[in-house]
Amino acid sequence: MRIWLMDRRHDPERNAAAYVSGELSRRARQWFERHILDCDDCWREVLLGRFGRRVAEDAREPVPPGLRDRVRASILLSAD
Amino acid sequence: MPLRTQHEEFLHATMGAMDLVYNLARRFTQRREDTEDLVQETYLAAYRAWCEHRRPRRVEPWIATICLNLGRSRYRRGVRRPIEVSIEDRDFRAPEVGDPERAAEAAMDRQALYEAMERLPEEQRVAIALVDLAGLSTAEAARAMATPRGTVLSRLHRGRRGLAALLWSEVRGVEE
Repeated sequence: MRIWLMDRRHDPERNAAAYVSGELSRRARQWFERHILDCDDCWREVLLGRFGRRVAEDAREPVPPGLRDRVRASILLSAD
Repeated sequence: MPLRTQHEEFLHATMGAMDLVYNLARRFTQRREDTEDLVQETYLAAYRAWCEHRRPRRVEPWIATICLNLGRSRYRRGVRRPIEVSIEDRDFRAPEVGDPERAAEAAMDRQALYEAMERLPEEQRVAIALVDLAGLSTAEAARAMATPRGTVLSRLHRGRRGLAALLWSEVRGVEE
């Protein structure tokens, strides 16, 4: 997976987003983890990104009871 | 092994994605009934495509894209007409806890979270819904949103940062 910083584009937003989403290759991740120790901008973006992601995941809601049956029934009806 | 009918095959392949579709649909609608309607519409549209032999390699991004397209048109329709929001619509289900005080706190947290999500620009909300709630990769989200992956990464990060800032100010507001 590409990391923008390694292409000499210092882009804390995209790098932090890819890092927090776990989408960097092992090599890119190791490189970025060394980098954030020296780069306040990337460090801050990673902290904010992690917190925001945790908050976003907390917004997940369970499927209401009965919705699966309703959808199943509508598919069966349209199949007839 | 008995042959499955088309609809059985479809339901077997797609019902596991219901959680994803519901949470994505939730980002486009304010009322729970509308969310459920959007989920049903999504499944019916997906079933029609399935019957036309348009079968995806991976169900999740495929059905998420269908929901996204329907949700966007519904959302735009929704913006033009007044939205009635009843108290019941804002009644967030609290986790099963014996202590009513804790249950009330949990419901308030959920309310703050929901409102913070609502305040994000649509494209950031959609990026968060696809990646953080639906579990798509940013490459899959980029295909679903018909946008370059770099743009999705930016929207995703700005959305996460926005949520962090909004929730943080909420926490500080309570403490002060």
